[in-house]
Amino acid sequence: MSVTSQEIQPVAAAHVSFGPPWYLREVYKYLATFAGLTIIYVGFRLYQGVFGVSTGLDSSEPAFATHWMRLLYIELAVLAVVFPALWGYLWFTRDQNMDAMSPKEEITRYFTLTMWISVYTFAVYWAGSYFAEQDNSWHQVSVRDTPFTANHIIEFYFNFPLYVLLGGSAWIYARTRLPLYAKGISVPLTLAVVGPFMILVSVGFNEWGHTFWFREEFFAAPIHWGFVIGVWFALGVGGILLQQVERLTELLNKIEDAA
Amino acid sequence: MTSTDLEIAQPYTGEKARLSRAYDYLILVLALFLFIGAFHLHVALTVGDWDFWVDWKDRQWWPLVTPLMMITFPAAVQAVLWTHFRLPLGATLCIACLLIGTWIARFFAYHLWNYFPINEVLPATMLPSALVLDAILMLSDSVTVTSIFGGMAFALLFYPSNWPIFAMFHVPVEYGGAQLTVADLFGFEYIRAGTPEYLRLIERGTLRTYGQVATPLSAFCSGLLCTLMYPAWWFIGKAFATTRFVQKI
Repeated sequence: MSVTSQEIQPVAAAHVSFGPPWYLREVYKYLATFAGLTIIYVGFRLYQGVFGVSTGLDSSEPAFATHWMRLLYIELAVLAVVFPALWGYLWFTRDQNMDAMSPKEEITRYFTLTMWISVYTFAVYWAGSYFAEQDNSWHQVSVRDTPFTANHIIEFYFNFPLYVLLGGSAWIYARTRLPLYAKGISVPLTLAVVGPFMILVSVGFNEWGHTFWFREEFFAAPIHWGFVIGVWFALGVGGILLQQVERLTELLNKIEDAA
Repeated sequence: MTSTDLEIAQPYTGEKARLSRAYDYLILVLALFLFIGAFHLHVALTVGDWDFWVDWKDRQWWPLVTPLMMITFPAAVQAVLWTHFRLPLGATLCIACLLIGTWIARFFAYHLWNYFPINEVLPATMLPSALVLDAILMLSDSVTVTSIFGGMAFALLFYPSNWPIFAMFHVPVEYGGAQLTVADLFGFEYIRAGTPEYLRLIERGTLRTYGQVATPLSAFCSGLLCTLMYPAWWFIGKAFATTRFVQKI
């Protein structure tokens, strides 16, 4: 797969077209998804900035129920509607004649799978990096009086389920549209999706521990190590990359060079 | 790959080359967010407060825990990128991604939302250590050599790399009749509801403390542990990068 810049010649004028090349058929949907997710995450952060201190410090206040518990219910309702619909769509539109697939179509689908996984890792970024560390920041200025804090409502009950469901979507896409992944279950893809799912499950232990045992917020404490072990499984993406590169190399050798 | 394969293998040209490069860019975006998200979570929940707060950056635990927990993902990613793609940048990629993630969080989550001074929450850097780790792997092409010399260098370079950033906070001040550092003062002035003073795990000075050599002691101890942690995580990375398919899970 390696190339150098010298080997990439500019496209001849006669071949110039304004649309994306055939293998990037889904690139606009990919970019739109990035944009949509960015709007959602930045929107959540702005909401926290406006209502965090004014209504999010005391869970017994009526304003907390209005601004935060209501947000929690809306999040859960949206996730409960969107993801069965998305997974159902992926399943019911599955390719039922994969043996007839051309190499070009299969290459395109590998690009699309990579886009799905890329969207998944974008959600992992917001859940594992930004809002995770922000949780420590928030615990330093508010007294923990509920598992549903102004940051938990977004981090644990929206961000975590969202990346789990997006990872599941990538898994279903591969299983229903790519011959290699339909014939067998990819171990690294499964690890990369199921492992981080265990982070969501670890929320249960985390909240139990923080409620009955350790009210403070020492981030490196063992109470958090369930999250750590879960995120190690994201290293399975290396195996997905190797599977894809091997198959793409085979497919590229089958097609004529159109340039 | 044999020498015969090398002679036969020809680089792609034309559309295949453009396709291959487009795939590289997709992977680059994917890897960027993957390593910011995954590695940052790993570091936040293992190094955590020693990296968050300036008054936790002591001589005993900070130089011990930070390299030990930060050599993990770099070793695992090197096991894939160097072995399969001959890219000598696994460690630098991970650490650069980590720094992007931590800086965004420190500024927007700590400083802008909750008004902690940015100087109180500056992240440490492991970039010099990562560059040396990648260079040693590239030059030696050996897990053993990189474990011993790279692992040791990764830990030993940590404190001198960060000293120019954090030295100013170790200046002693007299406050309320007691002597403390500027870093301590930050901790006392900006109250942390979730991390009270009794949870601050830092060096406790005793008569048995080895004077000015506390930092080198911690750094060499960390170096020893990093030489063990590196190969362990190399093989963890290799194990996760399996290409196996199974029929049942």
